[in-house]
Amino acid sequence: MLNPFLAQQGGAIETPQIDYAAILPILIVLGAACVGVLLEAFLPKHQRWPVQVGLTLLTIVAAGVALGAYVGDAPEQGITTLSGTVAVDAPALFLWGTLLALALGAVLLIADRSVEPGGAFVAQAGISPGTVQDRAQVSSTGMQTEVFPLTLFALGGMMTFTAANDLLTMFIALEVLSLPLYLMCGLARRRRLISQEAAVKYFLLGAFASAFFLYGIAMLYGYAGSVRLADIAAATAGTDRSDTLLFAGFGLLMVGLLFKGSVGPFHTWTPDVYQGAPTPITAFMAACTKVAAFGALLRVLFVAFESTSWEWRGVLWAVAIISMAVGAILGLTQTDVKRMIAYSSIAHAGFLLVGTMAITDEGLSGTLFYLLAYGFTTLAAFGVISLVRDASGEATHLSAWAGLSKRSPLLAAVFTFLLLALAGIPLTSGFVGKFVVFSAALSDGMAPLVVIALVFSAVAAFFYLRVVVLMYFSEPAPEGPTVSVPGAFTTAAITLGVVVTLLLGVLPAFALDWAGAGGFALSS
Amino acid sequence: MLIAIAAHFAVAAMLPLAARRCGRAAFAIGALVPAGSLALALTYLPGVLRGTPHGESVHWAERIGLLFTVRLDALAMLMTLLVTGVGAVVLCYFGRYADRDEPGHGRQAGLMVAFAGAMLGLVLADDVLSLYVYWEITTIASFLLVGGAGRDEESRRSAKQALVVTVFGGLALLLGLIVLAVAAGTFRLSGILADPPDGAAVTAAVALLLVGVATKSAQVPFHPWLPAAMVAPTPVSAYLHAAAMVKAGVYLAARLAPAFADRPVFWVPLVVLGLWTMVLGGFRALRQHDLKLLLAFGTVSQLGFLLVLVAVGTYTAALAGAAMLLAHGLFKSTLFLTAGAVDKGTGTRDIRELSGLGRQWPQLATLAGLAAASMAGLPPLLGFVGKEAALKAFLHATPKDVAVLCGITAGSVFTVAYTLRFLVGAFGTRPGAAPSRAKPPGAVFTAAIAVPALAGLVVGPGVGWLAPLAAGYAEALPGAHDYHLALWHGLTPPLLLSVLVLATGYAVYRAGRAVAVVSGRVPEPLRAQRGYDTAVSGLIRLAHGGTGRIQTGSLPVYLAVILLTVVAAPGTMLLLRGLPAIEAPWSRSWLQLPLAAIVLAAAGAVLRARRRLTAVLLTGMIGYGVGGLFLVRGAIDLALAQFLVETLTLVVFVLVLRRLPPPFARPGRERTGGQARSGQPALRRAEWRKALVAALGGTFVAVLATAYSAGRERLPPASAWYVDNAKPEAGATNVVNAILVDFRALDTIGEITVLLVAATGAASLALGAGRARRRTMPRPGRDERTEVRR
Repeated sequence: MLNPFLAQQGGAIETPQIDYAAILPILIVLGAACVGVLLEAFLPKHQRWPVQVGLTLLTIVAAGVALGAYVGDAPEQGITTLSGTVAVDAPALFLWGTLLALALGAVLLIADRSVEPGGAFVAQAGISPGTVQDRAQVSSTGMQTEVFPLTLFALGGMMTFTAANDLLTMFIALEVLSLPLYLMCGLARRRRLISQEAAVKYFLLGAFASAFFLYGIAMLYGYAGSVRLADIAAATAGTDRSDTLLFAGFGLLMVGLLFKGSVGPFHTWTPDVYQGAPTPITAFMAACTKVAAFGALLRVLFVAFESTSWEWRGVLWAVAIISMAVGAILGLTQTDVKRMIAYSSIAHAGFLLVGTMAITDEGLSGTLFYLLAYGFTTLAAFGVISLVRDASGEATHLSAWAGLSKRSPLLAAVFTFLLLALAGIPLTSGFVGKFVVFSAALSDGMAPLVVIALVFSAVAAFFYLRVVVLMYFSEPAPEGPTVSVPGAFTTAAITLGVVVTLLLGVLPAFALDWAGAGGFALSS
Repeated sequence: MLIAIAAHFAVAAMLPLAARRCGRAAFAIGALVPAGSLALALTYLPGVLRGTPHGESVHWAERIGLLFTVRLDALAMLMTLLVTGVGAVVLCYFGRYADRDEPGHGRQAGLMVAFAGAMLGLVLADDVLSLYVYWEITTIASFLLVGGAGRDEESRRSAKQALVVTVFGGLALLLGLIVLAVAAGTFRLSGILADPPDGAAVTAAVALLLVGVATKSAQVPFHPWLPAAMVAPTPVSAYLHAAAMVKAGVYLAARLAPAFADRPVFWVPLVVLGLWTMVLGGFRALRQHDLKLLLAFGTVSQLGFLLVLVAVGTYTAALAGAAMLLAHGLFKSTLFLTAGAVDKGTGTRDIRELSGLGRQWPQLATLAGLAAASMAGLPPLLGFVGKEAALKAFLHATPKDVAVLCGITAGSVFTVAYTLRFLVGAFGTRPGAAPSRAKPPGAVFTAAIAVPALAGLVVGPGVGWLAPLAAGYAEALPGAHDYHLALWHGLTPPLLLSVLVLATGYAVYRAGRAVAVVSGRVPEPLRAQRGYDTAVSGLIRLAHGGTGRIQTGSLPVYLAVILLTVVAAPGTMLLLRGLPAIEAPWSRSWLQLPLAAIVLAAAGAVLRARRRLTAVLLTGMIGYGVGGLFLVRGAIDLALAQFLVETLTLVVFVLVLRRLPPPFARPGRERTGGQARSGQPALRRAEWRKALVAALGGTFVAVLATAYSAGRERLPPASAWYVDNAKPEAGATNVVNAILVDFRALDTIGEITVLLVAATGAASLALGAGRARRRTMPRPGRDERTEVRR
């Protein structure tokens, strides 16, 4: 924001400095999203899919290249730009890289048209579910290609979200990332009612969460007289102001952030939405939204609320325990694979919160690493889920997965590996992630919480292994699902996820070094 | 030695491919790996005996202190001999045991080799993390081996139980190891043990480690998984019991003993549980009819014995522990392989059906007899040497030693009894029963059984070769170094005790039937298996109940969860800190009262509205009412904006409502028709609950707003500046006007543009969509609509 004193007293309006090189990745993504909307308006229908896919993939690669070019000579302490509203520092760069890589995988899944002929998305979103037209669109080959610009908008919002250095920017980024997601949830080609129900639920609950977030910002502004994270930190550090306004604002702000990160007890939307949304979108949401939400949470806690950590830690302890308990225990009884992974994501959100609460360098790098590891694993898991199908679409009921290893040993092996990674078995990225997060929490004096987290890891491992047992040790159902031969896109996405999961498990040093490259930029 | 560990995993990965070509020979190929590792380990033996451990290390992830380190000292050497030696023998045996036509040889051979590799890594590992990694690999490998092809419910359940129990222990172990490593400041096991840290955290860590030890080594109350795991193929059981998996717990206890045996938190639980397990296992073994189950309970018993020996932490006990560790590995593998041969040859393992096998298979019976003699503690076998040393170690007149001595004596009596039961059951001739028909065991079986059996026989008299190795481990422990392992110490109290044990054991065996009656009398709630079942089913019930309550799929419930959390968590915290005094007066103008009443009434009425249009109009009324409140307080600009937005929203709503049926669809109403109101108390209760939650949430937000907006500190500098400069700079008496059209005029243009774009978009959607629909597709016909509704 422009400081009115300077502007008026200096006589001329002083334009804020913009470090274009630093924010180039965001600019590329958002710019391409706008181009995508235009393409949608002006291209004939049959040309849209190839052009949109090409544009989207190119955009993500170009943003990645721009990021890579910037990382090479980025200042170590990070910079803030756009008059301090956006901070481009080591965690932001790491999260951007993570988001771009995950989005690449998700876009590959979204673009796939071989598994479900025509793609997982509805051909014409305006048709009512269950009508003759709807049955006709199921077998048609077109798809609503607006998904691609929407994905890019959401991605741009996520990248801004993780780099936002003041709460208003963060709120706008939150909306930019959320609105496209609400829409995309309702675009499934099959089972459209449940998909639309998911979209409505996500939207309504998300609107409430956003409202709380905004209310929290207002309170914090009232407390600190500024929405900048650094100013809030300065206000908490050395004043005798009444803390109540601060904590009311903090609590409401957390509601918004924890909702996006699907942390229990703000998780209620997660299973329904994960189940209803088209699987590629679920993959995108599960991987990228989690990264964005926890990236922002880390920044808020580290930059603005570090000095008051003793005051709020109790509440977040409770939240983390609830999240782990809900995810691990309710996950046990799920009979739907997508819902099961949803509960796993709730449990993982609890584990992530354990690392986030450790306001130390190890906590930061551990949580960042965990996000990277979890994102790729869950992305590949949803990719695999999209392959197991029967006549009515994806066969997500667990009974359909019985004896899958006999029909498709490779698929069963890949899924087993991913489940083991989610359970945190050694030699997968999940183990290293859990290890760094828990050890950071331990050294920050949260041993009881780590004990609880370990217990829930054990409970959660039980339900992952239940699926493994089911796939390997059961007789396949006589009219079970078939395993589609994935097209190049889905294969690439799953391979990406599996390879990264394995690499991070066996050789985590590189990613850990990058995750620990530096802290948040504190200057405003 | 790292290369040996790596070779295990590499070969394990390739065996499934090899098995496609050469079938059962895959097991023989696999056996080469542990055999080669044994040879490699023996080359380091002279150095180890001189007291200089061999070490290697390679980095994995240096940043977080993950690296693979091996350290081959006396204890590790002892375990390595057992793991690789028994591994090679069992794999050879497995090659013959597996059915030629059955698929899955590659899988089982690969898993066995991986299992051996993990176990080798476990005993050699010198940093706590790779120790944990290997520990978990053994868990998973044994899960897959026990589950086998998972054809039947029983094997799946057993495999799962083994997994759940040992993974739980593994996590406790991990936590204990990390706490210990953090306290000691190093992740090197040798470093931690050389300078053991102190403090409350370390005590807790040791307790956690013991949970890992007890689960892995099947101690009470975690023991039921081990007998349940008997559904595994016999060679797997043999390896599991003799050298791998369950020995991991004993190994870890032995490894930690030099540093921690002087602390009560270490030795008390291990000794108590160990003795209990030893007696209970022996007792239960007397009731079994299945040869494998009999041996399994025997293993449970022997593991308790071993843990007592290593946990006590004296020189003599440690010597005995080392000798018994090796002896148990040798005799237990022999006996299991024998049970497998009996099973293969006759098709049964039930001692009530076997008869006359000893006459048909004299060689095998002799070999099994040797192993059984070692188990019972008969000279001149290694088991005797170990048991002598164990009895000697506790021949002191302290209460602790007397209690332990009584315990192990009782356990040994049962050991003798069930040994006899096994031997007679497998090879004896029952009067009046037809001799079992048995195929000859074949050379491979006999050879594989002979190797460990004869090793036990040779090492007994030749215990002098073993003694330096055992002493190399025991040296680190306190106590007089006056005892040495030997077959003959003269007529000493331990020898007399041994004779007494043998005699009593024989008597107990003869009184077997009475024992069987007594041992059925364990109170139901105290049974460990029941405890496990209750824990698992309780968890699942909790999950079912929780899902049913929380995850109903109903949006109001979800929202209620979020609202209640918001009210409960931050709300309580804030209430505890005390609400600030609300300084604002209740009302500033009488006009506020009717306006507030209108807003509240409209809000209440929305909930009761049954037609969509009514609801929309009432919502609009709330908005206009709030706008009126703004107006009363003099915020004309806010009021105008509010009126504008309300009007726009109303118009958009009406455009949309044209396409929707007028009344709301209400759950339950359609089905029961007109009587719904009074006929559904449950529904009405649910509505009351919703109303309550909504009121709570609304009150919270409102109180927050009134209470804390007064708490803000001061006018922000920007506001002050605007107030000061409105008149001189912009010539305006209304500050808000000055801001909107002068100071921030560009922002205002931007806002107007956004509003216009949004309105245009909404209008074109509302108007254009209808046209497009009419153009491209016919409306659904009457039949389809009804179909949809159904």
